[in-house]
Amino acid sequence: MLNDTRRTRTLLYLGLGAIALWALLPYLWVLRTSFLDSFTAIDPNAPYLPSLDNFTLKSYGQVWSRFDFVTFFTNSIIVSLGATVISLAFAIPSAYAFARLDFPGRKLLFYTAVFTIMFPWIVLTIPVYEVFTWLNMINTLEAVIIALSIFTLPQAIWLLQGFFRQGIPENIEEAALLDGHSELTAFLRVVLPLSLPAVAAAGLFSFIIAWNNFLWVFILTTDKSQRTATVAIHYILGSDVMRQWNVLMASAVLLIVPPVIFYTLAQRYVGEGIGGGY
Amino acid sequence: MGAIDFDSVTKVYDDSSGTVVAVEELDLSVEDGEFLVFVGPSGCGKSTTLRMLAGLETVTDGTIRIDGEAITDKAPKDRDIAMVFQSYALYPHKTVRDNMAYGLKLSTDLTDEEIDRRVTETAEMMGIGDLLDKKPGSLSGGQQQRVATGRAIVREPAVFLFDEPLSNLDAKLRKHMRTELAQIHNELRITTIYVTHDQEEAMTLADRIAVLNGGELQQVGPPKQVYARPANHFVADFIGSPSMNFVDVTLDGQHLRLDGPDDDWSYEVSDGLAEIVADAGVTEYIIGVRPEDVRLGDDAPAGKTVEGTVEVVEVVGSDNFIYLESGGQEFRYRAPTEVEPAVGETLTVTFDEDHIHLFDRDSGEAVAHGTSEADGSSRAVSRSVTAED
Repeated sequence: MLNDTRRTRTLLYLGLGAIALWALLPYLWVLRTSFLDSFTAIDPNAPYLPSLDNFTLKSYGQVWSRFDFVTFFTNSIIVSLGATVISLAFAIPSAYAFARLDFPGRKLLFYTAVFTIMFPWIVLTIPVYEVFTWLNMINTLEAVIIALSIFTLPQAIWLLQGFFRQGIPENIEEAALLDGHSELTAFLRVVLPLSLPAVAAAGLFSFIIAWNNFLWVFILTTDKSQRTATVAIHYILGSDVMRQWNVLMASAVLLIVPPVIFYTLAQRYVGEGIGGGY
Repeated sequence: MGAIDFDSVTKVYDDSSGTVVAVEELDLSVEDGEFLVFVGPSGCGKSTTLRMLAGLETVTDGTIRIDGEAITDKAPKDRDIAMVFQSYALYPHKTVRDNMAYGLKLSTDLTDEEIDRRVTETAEMMGIGDLLDKKPGSLSGGQQQRVATGRAIVREPAVFLFDEPLSNLDAKLRKHMRTELAQIHNELRITTIYVTHDQEEAMTLADRIAVLNGGELQQVGPPKQVYARPANHFVADFIGSPSMNFVDVTLDGQHLRLDGPDDDWSYEVSDGLAEIVADAGVTEYIIGVRPEDVRLGDDAPAGKTVEGTVEVVEVVGSDNFIYLESGGQEFRYRAPTEVEPAVGETLTVTFDEDHIHLFDRDSGEAVAHGTSEADGSSRAVSRSVTAED
């Protein structure tokens, strides 16, 4: 009996390990290639784990020296943080209103907002471009920030309203009202601090969507100085100058680092936020 | 001071699914320092009434006053009220100390030292002095309940509101906390309105009980009065455990005859009761007898007994609850422990005329309690008691 349990568990872990390896393999390959020299990176005969002599940090140095990645990353950070802050600033009050207040058209508005999550962004490119042309904002980071905050907003609303509805008992707000708060201060001083996990989760998702976004930056900017790292990599990949896979992979690794840091900082809250409790 | 007046208070919920009258024209006065318990089944409007008093629900119509001052349109924080919720509603991110101190910090000008002194004193009184630096999540249900009560007490408000505060506790702890709440009220004498669906809780705690059903006040009065002289069929059925026996009867001369498929028994009433019943001008009644007023009727005069077949015998230790079937109707008998008949056995039981409650079958209103006339309709009873206050 005991052996059976142990055998089942061993098989389970082997299976899980295989699936994890399968999922992680592309990332490991990116990481491996980013540390190789130019020749080994494109050598079809190079072993899966090349000798240590072939490993180098040169490609990371090249990313910074040959391309204007400082600008690209700065733009990415500005755009992502800007979109996250604006998106949360609108999502928090609207999600609270959807969760707690009873006003005419509440359901219709909510489902309209949620429906836009499912709407493919690509079909909106021309109208969105037209709107920003009309606003004379093409080729500005502000345009990208506004576009991204609008497109991350519905998801943030959806996530937060679920938390406000289920994660914060109404009685706690009512206790705050009886303790001396007005409705606004009860929200700001009691509900919001309790909602930090959900706000962190919604913020993380908005940040990642904005950081990884390609479409709106690609559509709304043409100037190199306004590019974010995601679009910059696309241009580098498409240019004739660049076929150095190790440098390309190094830039991809650098692209992944900020969301990972952001997640690590927020992860203590995020799990609770997605779970819907406090 | 905390005298409360409900003046024709009505609450109507109007949404897409329809209109629901949760509370209808409630007239009720609560004296300063009184412990009033709202009791009734789910959806009877008791919690809505409490929440309207707290300012957590708007009032559709009517006025609520505390010490003569209309508070209907005041914000909850301006009503000098503290409330204990069924879910306790403690702030999970604050310690017990901060939970208790929060209301004082927000609504008074007291210094931090004074607030701390009051919190510590109240915590000692509630037996939670050693929990002050803990967060609510690490406390048991009973401890959380004490903290929630302490949070209300420390405010020293004009009125305490309790919304089914013991419902989440196990039976033993519930009884213990009930006693503690009664002691606290005796000590502080602050006006308390307490909502429960547990009639035993209502009976043991209340100075007066207000029975609600379908948003309407059925009866208000001291527990003994509500128990002994229920204003109508609903109150009689709701108060008392096991509940009162009810049998549909028709007045036939001086006999109350069972309206059953077999019509196999009748109960002979005295001239006095027959007169009261005749004056009421109705012939169809419900006769009500509490199980504890039923006794073995082997030596009872003929015409005053009920014969039934034993269906179930419940042994509860102090008594035996015997369920009889007679003429197609269930008849409950709270018997001494030595009376333990076998299932299927035929038992003859009786009850005194003094213990009979008669209700008009159409309106449900009480017509007579024993050989005395009932106090009138339930509305009249509730209003007269209110007026006396």
